[in-house]
Amino acid sequence: MNCDNFRQQLPECLAGRLGERARERLIEHLEGCSGCRGELAHLGIVWRGLEALKLEAEPGAAMKERFQETLASFEAGLEQGRLAAVPLPAQSRQALPRWAWQLAAGLAILAIGLVAGRMLAPRPSVTPEIAQLQGQVQSLHQLVALSLMQQQSPASRIEGVTYAYSMTQPDPQVEEALLYAASHDSNVNVRLSAVDALDKYAADPNVRRALPATLAAQDSPLAQVALIDLVVKSKDRDCASALRRLASRPEADEAVRQRAQWAIEKLDIQGESR
Amino acid sequence: MRQVRDGEVNRLEVLFDRHQRALLHYFLHLTGDRAASEDLVQEAFFRVLKYRRSYQTENTFRAWLFQIGRNAYLDHLRRGKNEVAWPAEAPEASSPDAAPDRLMEEKQETALLRQALAEMPPEKREVLVMSRFLDLKYEEIAAALQCEVGTVKVRVYRALHELGDRFFALRGEPMS
Repeated sequence: MNCDNFRQQLPECLAGRLGERARERLIEHLEGCSGCRGELAHLGIVWRGLEALKLEAEPGAAMKERFQETLASFEAGLEQGRLAAVPLPAQSRQALPRWAWQLAAGLAILAIGLVAGRMLAPRPSVTPEIAQLQGQVQSLHQLVALSLMQQQSPASRIEGVTYAYSMTQPDPQVEEALLYAASHDSNVNVRLSAVDALDKYAADPNVRRALPATLAAQDSPLAQVALIDLVVKSKDRDCASALRRLASRPEADEAVRQRAQWAIEKLDIQGESR
Repeated sequence: MRQVRDGEVNRLEVLFDRHQRALLHYFLHLTGDRAASEDLVQEAFFRVLKYRRSYQTENTFRAWLFQIGRNAYLDHLRRGKNEVAWPAEAPEASSPDAAPDRLMEEKQETALLRQALAEMPPEKREVLVMSRFLDLKYEEIAAALQCEVGTVKVRVYRALHELGDRFFALRGEPMS
């Protein structure tokens, strides 16, 4: 080992983290090398001086409260998603008593009978009352999602985005609000969640039209990568210019540049005219 | 963290209690701004929730948390909020009964070292903060910075050496 190798061990030595064997070899070297001894003395002054710059700041109670608020919103969002999409867990199915299975089987036979009857009979249209009710429920979902997305607190806006994601019926106004949030929300986490939620609308022409501008407006590498993935998923070749700009922009994050290059290859737009 | 990854997201509260102070100090050392640092802590933990499924157990949670925190900080820098206003209220290093002259001298030295550290390039200041103030192991720093342990070793040494150069230059006695 030369002096450079030994000098690189000095910070660990000063921190008391150097292993016994390495420490012994370092001491042996220091005994015969005045240059490295001088370096240790100088670095020691700096290292010890830094002790006075250690911070004593304690996190305030408000930090914990904010975190709990975010956690609660996140859990609520997950729960909404589960209610909307997840079937009964396997464990619960196994826990059902025998009579419940018999009842279920009976109901299933009844349902098959009803469906067969409906198929054989002339097909009636959805009654106006049911259609109205469905419309009202959809409007209510839309209202909740949109109002949450306009809240001041980022946690509430994320809750709104998550709620929008769990909506079973796509909605043009919600789609527009998600696009706006993905491009313009001041909080990067809201933008990220909005990009994730837009996944559901990936095939929609309005979303595809808006994607190049949304991608260009983005300054967060995480959101940029999420958007690039969305572009690939929607097979949106209109984003070719935006992707090329990202792939060649020197100040862009390296991971973003690589992802943009990957997307260009994936969408096979490498050789297209610019 | 495994429980959080597997769906028990409320378990993250335990990890928040355990690591929020270190993460707050990391951001405070880098930004010098209490409000921005608190926002960054929230953002880092939100990202932990969001990317919980990508957690790999070969690294400690602390290393992964700092990797995520670092990305949040880099995003913060890219948004143009990169001015470092080092907090003025540093703890006193001397005992209360130290001589007034010695106290004054120590205060001046601490102020010079604070200035030298604040003037360091962010990536060099960062490795010093991680190794000196947060007591992260080189393996954890390597995981957070996504580089080799050997690279961390070299970076910490070079950063400390440069800080010494700057500090001694401010004192009027060049180091090397």
